[in-house]
Amino acid sequence: MVTLLNENYHVCTGCALLCDDIEVVTGSGRITEVKTACRKGVARMKGCSEPMSPTVDGQEVDIDNAIGAAAGILSNARSPLVFGLGNSTNMAQKKAIELAKRIGAVIDDTSSFCQGPTLEAIFNENIRSTTLDDVRNKADVIVYWGADASNSHPRHFSKYSYFPRGQERQRGWEEDRIMITIDIRRSHTAKISGDKFYQIPLQADAEFIDALIDALSGKVPKVSFGFDIKRILELANILKKARFGTIFVGLGLVYSIDNMDPVVKLMDKLNEMSNFHLIPMVGHYNMRGFNQNLFNETGYLNRVKFEKGDSTDVQHGAEFSIVETLNNKAADAALVIGSDPLSSLPRVIAEHLLNIPVITIDPCETFTSRKAKVTIPSALSGVECGGSAIRMDGVEVKFEPIIETNRPPDEEILTRIMEAL
Amino acid sequence: MEFGKFLAAPEYKVTIVTYRDIFQSAVMEGSRFSEEYLKLSAVIRMDAGDIKKLGVKEGDTAVVRNDSGKVIVRVGSSGYDASHQGIAYMPNSPWSNVLLSADTGGSGVPRYKGIEAVVSSAKGESVTGVDGFLENTMKH
Repeated sequence: MVTLLNENYHVCTGCALLCDDIEVVTGSGRITEVKTACRKGVARMKGCSEPMSPTVDGQEVDIDNAIGAAAGILSNARSPLVFGLGNSTNMAQKKAIELAKRIGAVIDDTSSFCQGPTLEAIFNENIRSTTLDDVRNKADVIVYWGADASNSHPRHFSKYSYFPRGQERQRGWEEDRIMITIDIRRSHTAKISGDKFYQIPLQADAEFIDALIDALSGKVPKVSFGFDIKRILELANILKKARFGTIFVGLGLVYSIDNMDPVVKLMDKLNEMSNFHLIPMVGHYNMRGFNQNLFNETGYLNRVKFEKGDSTDVQHGAEFSIVETLNNKAADAALVIGSDPLSSLPRVIAEHLLNIPVITIDPCETFTSRKAKVTIPSALSGVECGGSAIRMDGVEVKFEPIIETNRPPDEEILTRIMEAL
Repeated sequence: MEFGKFLAAPEYKVTIVTYRDIFQSAVMEGSRFSEEYLKLSAVIRMDAGDIKKLGVKEGDTAVVRNDSGKVIVRVGSSGYDASHQGIAYMPNSPWSNVLLSADTGGSGVPRYKGIEAVVSSAKGESVTGVDGFLENTMKH
């Protein structure tokens, strides 16, 4: 559990780094200034310019009517889908899981098409992970693999990985840390790595891992693409000597491999000779919380189907992913919480949402909300409501509301929907 | 739709890799419906040599299409020194998602970082607007 270092500090819910050193200035019921946060965090905390209103069929209604209409849709649905929750607190997520059980829904989140495999390997203890605090205090070798933290988590380097003078790394990046980037392009993150940037072709990650494992095993590495073998040997040598190494995995790596086997194999090899950990670069502030909460409840972190009226009947598999559920037109209603699938999913797949009644719970208007049958505005968590969340490294972070709102938190909306079922 | 015009222009096959851009992500927090979000999202960043082959200039519009759909976006240079002929980059957004296939081989994971598409000049055409995404279908 993270303890805030200063009573004036707040937590940013802009991403799963959950920066806990944010100072704000408030006025007229809004946050007018945000200090310390990154560009995205500032934008998140200041709020959107298009707050959502309670509506049914495009007509503004009071929130009780919107909640009643949502309950009506979910009561009548034979195969409802519950999706999102990466921007909800732990308590709201637990409530959504309870609701999914009650109505016999498929429940899934964005991890289904991003960091799910990495988190699954960590939850099942196939890969050793660590905390960002240990990275700050101990890590001497840091690898960003298919991850561009400069754009996804801009404070990652300064708060935890590369620049801090941690307990055992008092000379910081100048002498005490080596930062490596492996990617298909010279991203902003790769630029920070300087000559420790290893550029590989698209979809070549598994082959590069094999070559690296060979190099670590004392064999001559081989790759089918043009790459200076001496550089692979040099990289293997750095990794081998690490006293506390951490690989930060981005979607560039996750999308490039069919499953986590190559990564597990590499981690096992590295841990035969040094001390390596892996942390996924989780995007949404509490996606990992959802995965942990569902895993605790069912043994699966996403892609779950509950059977109505039988809380012990839990099915899991790719067919219960949001992508395949919509692709197979298997949902006849959808409850979307803090997410915008019409914007983030392949358009041809998301279009099924236009043919079924959709309920959105969100502080702001989204592409999905504009086409939804029912919209229910909620408080922006971390700003307008408190709670707790799980950081990308699995550490729980608590936060308090900063400003008041009359919009209820997700948890309360879900409770009221359940009461009205 | 003046489709003949597009067919007359040189076409170029690319593999599109989507990526995150902090400026675009920050603007999205404020509004997904803003001009600024459109400007930062509706862009394809290509190898300088590929832009030349297309016969367009940076800032011109291009149509990017495949069996899944079609969008008109602006052409930009990737700015990378190393040549990456045939590989183009788009910020992860509704615009790039129009080009994603429904076929995931049953895995449930779309190919966000490996979209096969064809690019051609759309000189004089406007970028696909936000309203397009609120239509009931974008399949052409």
